[in-house]
Amino acid sequence: MTLSVALGPDTQEGTRTGTEESTGFLAAPDIPWNLVIWNDPVNLMSYVSYVFQSYFGYSETKANKLMMEVHKKGRSIVANGSKEQVERHAVAMHGFGLWATVEKASGGPGGNSGKSGGSGQGKGKRG
Amino acid sequence: MAKAFKYGLKGITGYLEPTERELLRSLIDDVISMLQPEDRSGQDPLAALIGLDMDVAEPSDRAVKRLLPNVMKNDGAASLEFRQLTERSLRETKIGALRAAALDLDKDEIVLSAEGAKHWSMALNDVRLVLAERLDIQDEEDAEHVHLMQDWSQAEDVESYLALVYNFATWLQESLVQAMLQSLDTRR
Repeated sequence: MTLSVALGPDTQEGTRTGTEESTGFLAAPDIPWNLVIWNDPVNLMSYVSYVFQSYFGYSETKANKLMMEVHKKGRSIVANGSKEQVERHAVAMHGFGLWATVEKASGGPGGNSGKSGGSGQGKGKRG
Repeated sequence: MAKAFKYGLKGITGYLEPTERELLRSLIDDVISMLQPEDRSGQDPLAALIGLDMDVAEPSDRAVKRLLPNVMKNDGAASLEFRQLTERSLRETKIGALRAAALDLDKDEIVLSAEGAKHWSMALNDVRLVLAERLDIQDEEDAEHVHLMQDWSQAEDVESYLALVYNFATWLQESLVQAMLQSLDTRR
């Protein structure tokens, strides 16, 4: 049984060996991707902060700041990197039970910036 | 009554009554059975060995889908492709944590290593996610409403019983995570 969540985040960017390229699932290596954590009414704030501290090695201050962003804004970008790095983080987050998705970083190289990060968060403030 | 988890010289310790242990064990068993991958006899044994599952589909059960969410918000096809590569091992990771926690339920006093505590927190979280789907907790307001249910003498139907069980699991997980945060502090 593989407890893949025991693996810490891989911070060594650019050490791609090519052995995993055969999955056919990887984007061009230099397009940045974001790991997004979404708010949900079940996960404990303390637990989310614990996961950010223990898995990413973030300080308590940084972990709490990101956790509060998830809680108040509905989502937060908690890590970025190559597509395969953020995908690995996403699986680890799913292992912990956090609701995580990956998305192409807006404004990154590749031209297609998609929707801007801030959209959809201000609930009906207009008008 | 259960005692809150605390961090001390022995590591993280907690105490549960036999009935509470039985309850947790059955909740954990339920989640394990939801996560158990279907046995597909026609599957390519080599693919199964390396964790690939080309026949995987997005879960139809909402609770299972919450345990195994899509990796992309608006791209079902890419999410499905990702599932084929990762879902089997994610199920196994979760089942591993749930089984580890269930084993610790054999004794009254629970003494957890750092790794054991992590498995417990993951297991309790998955149990709560499943209960929350059954209780239809969709937003903070629903969560508040369920949280109000604290008195076991009020348990008169399945929903109020589930709410009490959910609140018990929440209390237990919160006390565990506080102890884990303390242990992180002392290791820094």
